[in-house]
Order: sequence, then structure tokens, then C-alpha cells
Amino acid sequence: MTSLLKIEGLEFSWGSNQVLKDINLDVGRNEFVAILGVNGAGKSTFLKCINRILAPAKGTVEISGRNIADMSLMDLSKATSYVPQSVRTSFSMSVFDVVMLGRRPHISWRISDDDHERVSETIRFLGLEDFAFRKFDRLSGGERQRVVIAKAVAQDPMLFLLDEPTSDLDLRNQVSIMKKIRHIVSDVESGKSAIVAIHDINMAARFADRVVLLDGGSIKADGTPSEVLTEANIADVFGVSCDVIPEEYGLSSSLQVLVKDEIEK
Amino acid sequence: MDSISKKYIEDSRTQVTIIASVCAATLLSAVIAMGLGSSSTLDSISTIKIMFGLESGSDLQSAIIWELRFPRVLMAIIGGAALATAGALMQGCLGNPLVSPLTLGVASGAALGAAFAIVLGISIIPNLAIVANAFLFSLVVVGIIIQLGNMRSVSAESYILVGIAITFISGAIVSTFTYFATDAQLSQLTHWSFGSLSRPSLSNVVWISGAIICLMPSAMKWAWDLNTLSLGGDDFAISSGVDPSSTRRNILVLSALMTSIVIAFTGLIGFVGLAAPHMSRLVIGNDYRKLIPCSAVFGSFLMLFADTVGRTIFAPVIIPVGIMLAIIGGPFFMYLLLQNRGVS
Repeated sequence: MTSLLKIEGLEFSWGSNQVLKDINLDVGRNEFVAILGVNGAGKSTFLKCINRILAPAKGTVEISGRNIADMSLMDLSKATSYVPQSVRTSFSMSVFDVVMLGRRPHISWRISDDDHERVSETIRFLGLEDFAFRKFDRLSGGERQRVVIAKAVAQDPMLFLLDEPTSDLDLRNQVSIMKKIRHIVSDVESGKSAIVAIHDINMAARFADRVVLLDGGSIKADGTPSEVLTEANIADVFGVSCDVIPEEYGLSSSLQVLVKDEIEK
Repeated sequence: MDSISKKYIEDSRTQVTIIASVCAATLLSAVIAMGLGSSSTLDSISTIKIMFGLESGSDLQSAIIWELRFPRVLMAIIGGAALATAGALMQGCLGNPLVSPLTLGVASGAALGAAFAIVLGISIIPNLAIVANAFLFSLVVVGIIIQLGNMRSVSAESYILVGIAITFISGAIVSTFTYFATDAQLSQLTHWSFGSLSRPSLSNVVWISGAIICLMPSAMKWAWDLNTLSLGGDDFAISSGVDPSSTRRNILVLSALMTSIVIAFTGLIGFVGLAAPHMSRLVIGNDYRKLIPCSAVFGSFLMLFADTVGRTIFAPVIIPVGIMLAIIGGPFFMYLLLQNRGVS
């Protein structure tokens, strides 16, 4: 496996509260990695440490063999793009302008024809044509989320870092967005990968190649969905009882988690 | 080319045409403003003919045109552009629509410097006492901004709060000075605080214009970074390759410098730095690549219009531009905001 992301001994604290503890992770090319865990497990913090939004207290993060601490932010944003849980805007812009901001790391000042084309393609790819010239702050939460994902796609990075990218989306758009991320990651020529923090276990099981289960800031389990999403692990981390059922989606096989009840502590 | 890209490019061209039209209207207004005044020896037509060399005026007429009206009109254009640009930059990098060039305490610093010169007679350059002090004290505020920017994890709110603190401290010291000032000193200090375009001489205006014209391209350099910062805040900016801390510090220093250069010579003129960027946002949106030039031309137009009305409406009495801007611009600004409240 060609390593795209290599994390060694990553630790992060908010004051005396240690959020991430000794995280070690290798992500190869064309991998779709889902990060699961309860609220406060450190999923968002973990993604922010990979993108230098937060500075880790210890450990190293390497992308394509380069330590991100030694990279300029501009170079790092060519290698990774981050989609936050939500974007609160002070001064709104059109959807086209927001997606164009994804081209920021690639342009000095003037927008080229190629940049225009890439933004238009991305808008079509994510089905945003109907509101491409509407103001960002006039959109619904789900539409905004799709626009910010489009901005990340237009950025054309090697590694996508997506923090709950389907949290505001309806069922159809949840499946649509996950399929599109899957489509990007499956393109062997581009070699892109995605790390997606997500709460929907079934969505993770269906689309991810690999699931990383975070518990109390540490990696509790790391492997394929069927290796990680066991009844015991789910009961241990999420505090719920469940049935894990094998599932078929067309030619691919996956599993479905049916949650039964919370477990009394 | 794709139909979406085509529409975007067409919209951009329309916006550039709007900016060019406001620019042309400002230049035309400048020519008209040059012809307006209380002098009985000069009418508008003669002024324009003398200006363009079609008529040779008397020494008095030439002096009125080139030594009184020209510096004033040029100062309105340059000062309006500088303060409006500074306001647009500061609103964007602090992500706050309520911010104006006076928010960071630069103006309060300048007022404190002026008060030192007027009340205590203390200045480093005696024959340019008020201007030199106002500029020097506002530079001290710029220094505080740089120091603050060099600290780790300083937020946009921290800059605003420090600016408010500086404003309160400076205000308290100026109030103490006014308490002990003579009537003549009090009058001079109050008059300085009104903000007027009559103070800078032609050589001052040339110097100010040179400095502002040199700084303007730096403002444009930050346009992309301001777009990312003003749209989505710090995390969004970092993920787009922009370092919010150093970008914010550099932009604030630039806008504080532009503000200092103007208000050291004119006194306090605040409203244009708040209103012109918002008027521009209503017309062409929030893309800083267009917002910066648009704010500059709107600022010039607003300042020129307010000053021309101020010196002609009750001629020969001249109402300072700082007052006129608030009287004329305030209601117009509110009207625009209310008209567009449903269309961001």
C-alpha cells in the first residue's frame, strides 16, 4: 500500500483535557476511511490536526512523505481540503464564488479559463446548477453543506478531510454525496483518499473501505467495516445493543447495524 | 465555454462596468465641484475653461482654483478612497460589518496627539504640530496592533476589544485636557475633531496622494485572502491556504496606516469608512477583488459630494465634511440598507 497519510504518536490537549492520545494511523491512496465515535471522542479535533487548523502537542503528521509542520499552508491546502461541520458567514457570496475559493491555492490573482471550467464542472458534478448564482447565506443548511463540499472538490487535493459532511442532508442527498466521495476516491489514476468523520454507522459501513473507531481520544479499533463494526465494539463505544446483519448492495457486500436499545451503565 | 462560466464572466463584466461608471461619475463631479464656490470672481464655466487652459485667468482666479479648490477636491477623492478602502479591509479581516477605520483606536490616538499639541503645546515638529502629533500617536496605535498580532492565537474580537479600550483611554485623557483647556484651545480641539478638507495644503495633498496611491495595490493583493476570511472565518481560511493571524495583522496595519495618513491632516472623518463599503456590497456583492476598487470610488464620490454640499449650501459659511457626511450619508445609507434588507 502506498502511504498517503502517516500519523505517528499524535496527541492534542485543550488545556488539561487531553483530547487525542497517541494516535497512529496510515492511510493509503484510494482509501475511504470513516472515523466513528461518540460526541467528544475527538473526531473533529483529529481532522483539524491533519490540516494544521490545530497544532498537536506531540507527534507527526506526514502527507506524501512530507511533514505538514514543514509545509506552507498554501502547499498543505493543495494536498488536503477540509470540510467543517458548518460555515457561519459574515459576508455572503454567490455559490459560484464560494466554490471558486477552492481554487485559491492554485491561483495567484487572476482566474484562468481552466479555473472557471473546473468550478463549473464541480457545480454540475454535485448538482448545484439550480442555485449556482444564489447567495450562500440564502441557502438551506443542506444546500450550504453541498456547496462547501463542492469547494473542497474544486480544491483538487489528494486527501479530503470531511467533518460530518451529511449531517444537514436529506436521505437522498446523504446517499448522493457519499456516492460521489466514493466515486472520487475510487479513481485509481488520481489516487485520492478521504477521511470522513461521521455518526451514521450504516453509511460508514456501506461506503468506507476502512473504519477507525475513536474512543476517549484513542483508536479503539481500525479495520474493514466487518472487522470493526461488531456488536461488542458498538456496545462498548456507543453504549447501545445492536444486531449486525450482512447486507448486499448490488455487487458489493456490506453490513447493516440495527440498534436495539441503550445499555444501562 | 460552459454556460455557468459564461454567466459568471458576464456578471463580472457588468460589475466592472458599474465600478467604471461610478469612477467616471466621480471624475465628472470633481470637475463640477471645482467650479462651485463662494467666490464672486469665478463662475463654473470660467473655472472649467481656466482649468483646461482654454482661458487665462487672473492671478486671484488661478490661486482660488489651484491653491484652494484643487487640493480640497483632490483630498476628497484620495481621502474618501483611502478611508473607504480601509473600512472594507477591516470589515473583511475582522469578519464584522460594524467595523470602520476608527474602530481600532487609530482615530482616538490621532485625537490624543492633536490634544497634546493644542492644549499642552507639545510636539516633535513645532511648525506641523497637530499633524505630526496626530500621525505619531496614531502610529503608536499601529504599533500596538502589530504587537497584538505577533501574539499567538489573537482573535478578531481581541483586536476590536483592544481598539475599544484604546478609544476609552484616549478619550479619557482628551477629556482631562479639555477640562483644563482655555476657550481658544477648546475651540481649536473641537474644530479639529469635526474633520475638514480645508486643512491640508497643496503640498500636503500631493504627499498624501503619493502615499495612498503606493498603499492601494497592497490592498488589492489581499483580495483573495479577504474573501476566504470574510466568508467562512479562520478554519475555512486555513483550509484554503490562508494564515488568518498574519493576514489579519498585515491587513489591519495597512488599513490603520491609510487611516492615519488621512486623518492626521483632516481630523476625524469616520462615516465614509463604514458606509462606502456597505453601499458597494449592496451594488456589487462581497467579492473583494471588486469590492476594494468599488469601495474606493464610492468613498471618493461620497466625500466629494458631502464636501461640495458643505461648502456651497450655506456659502460663505463652510460646514465641515465630517458633519456633512453624517447628515447626508446617514439617511441615504439607512435608506439603502432598508431597501435591500431582503436582498443580501
